[in-house]
Amino acid sequence: MTTTPGTEYPFAPMPPAEAVEHLGRIIADRPMTKMTMPYGGDVWLVHRNAAAREILSDRRFVREPFRTGERVVPFFVPFPDFLRGTLQFEDPPQHTKLRKLVQKAISPKRVREMRDSAVAFANELIDGMIDRGGVRDLVPEYSLSLPIEMLSNLLGVPSSDREKFERWSSSTLAVAGKSDAEVAADMAELAAYMTDLIAERREEPRDDLLSALAHARDRDETLTDAEILPIAFILIVGGFDNTATFLSTGVLALLSNDEQRAQFAADPDGLAATTAEEVLRHGGFATGRPAGGGGGLVPFVATEDVVVDGQLIAKGDAVSIDLTAAGHDPTAVTEPARFDIARPDNPHLTLSHGLHHCLGAPLARMELQVGLAELVKRIPGLRLAGEPVFSRDVLTQPMTSLPVTW
Amino acid sequence: MPKVCYTQPDGTERVVEAEVGDSVMQAAVRNGVPGILGQCGGSLSCATCHVFLDERHADDFPPVGEDEDDMLDVAATDRADNSRLSCQLVLAAGQEVHVTIPETQL
Ligand code: HEM
Ligand code: HEM
Repeated sequence: MTTTPGTEYPFAPMPPAEAVEHLGRIIADRPMTKMTMPYGGDVWLVHRNAAAREILSDRRFVREPFRTGERVVPFFVPFPDFLRGTLQFEDPPQHTKLRKLVQKAISPKRVREMRDSAVAFANELIDGMIDRGGVRDLVPEYSLSLPIEMLSNLLGVPSSDREKFERWSSSTLAVAGKSDAEVAADMAELAAYMTDLIAERREEPRDDLLSALAHARDRDETLTDAEILPIAFILIVGGFDNTATFLSTGVLALLSNDEQRAQFAADPDGLAATTAEEVLRHGGFATGRPAGGGGGLVPFVATEDVVVDGQLIAKGDAVSIDLTAAGHDPTAVTEPARFDIARPDNPHLTLSHGLHHCLGAPLARMELQVGLAELVKRIPGLRLAGEPVFSRDVLTQPMTSLPVTW
Repeated sequence: MPKVCYTQPDGTERVVEAEVGDSVMQAAVRNGVPGILGQCGGSLSCATCHVFLDERHADDFPPVGEDEDDMLDVAATDRADNSRLSCQLVLAAGQEVHVTIPETQL
């Protein structure tokens, strides 16, 4: 395929404003681009917001061939085997069954009920940072602690084991710094840990998700340990790292944009909801770090020929969503390059859409809202005290350190 | 063409023309009506398209199904007798429907 100059995809990191323009040109040029991944071959990366939503709502795009191993997942690295056994790779009806078991525990209503405890815990963390004073590292002391505490409470695992969770979670996405044997050992340890805990909850149920899952088989007779384990896995892999990254990114974005930060500080409770959405859409760009394009969601496979936005996706083709482009599509988002924490409509797809949309979305949103608002309320004079550090050992290149003072 | 009138919690109204076979959720999302998210795309797994269906239309749609019922229980705004998930309200030719959007979906 020949590409119009200035619409190349993938593209290397460039200043964020330029990247938004580059994405805009791609979107004007075509709905999607076929890209060859380091593993698993070709995949369509869908850039346009409306086309992406259409695909995510269309059941003719499935993940079964990846789950069964018939197809290799087109990806940057060999996709970790144990993840192919999770909810993320199921299609209906099994997906529906598994998802129903969990989603009530993370429903909008349940999450509203958890909000007060999130506020209290955020304030405890802030008290700690204020007591210790000097230069604090926001990532371990705040951004990671809040979602780990919430997830631990929800699942019913002791938050004192947080350091293990961090290791297990980063191990699943490790690209360097760990040997295959180390990763395998970490995964085996996680499985053993969860199996023990499930057995404990079978004996003595508590008011937590793991107990509910452990006892679901009594009502339904179909939920086995082999089914519970992947649910717990995916919640641990998907349930706090992302949230921590976006919370840190949100703080850095606000600290890098004085006007937006002042606006937020003037009404943190009123603006928390729209701020969280804007951080999800554009937070990374708003930090000023160079932004590139290439890659997206775990793909789907077309079960028949489907034409989307004029482009034929042939039966058997893999399709992924370019979340970054979808969040900067000028036909869906006005002034996509602007960091605007009061944006009334924000149709980003960072939490995806459709059947596999983020199961933890209500929780993720609440944690971002509370995490940003409480910090600004308690420490209005927060400022950077050094350069943020990003890990290159992990595929998603998460922020591992954000030195701040006040 | 079916029409849907959406009333916001603050009382402002907006009328949208929909396609036959669209759901009240799809019509809202497609026309940028605020307050209806429909994040799961109609697969009954997010409860972010909750609406209050005007009593006069109570019999115009199939009754609340089991999965819908479960999700209405966990919506962010407490359910009422006329609560529905708007992804389940599929529009027929010529139908005119009035719904009120709850305070919050999240
Ligand atoms: C800011 C934080 C978060 C972001 C940006 C995020 C984003 C996403 C995205 C894009 C997907 C779709 C993945 C796919 O199609 O394969 C997803 C799925 C999922 N997320 Fe999240 N997530 C976040 C937080 C959470 C939290 C806090 C939890 C749980 C406590 C969670 C649990 C899940 C699960 C279980 C799935 C799989 C759903 C399925 O396949 O049906 N996520 N998330
Ligand atoms: C439930 C599980 C998962 C969720 C919810 C999730 C969610 C997300 C989200 C929201 C992003 C965008 C982050 C950003 O823009 O800063 C992301 C990026 C990424 N994720 Fe995941 N992810 C999950 C599992 C995985 C797995 C299993 C892998 C690989 C083995 C993976 C690999 C990546 C990569 C490589 C990126 C960076 C892509 C890019 O920069 O374009 N994710 N993930």
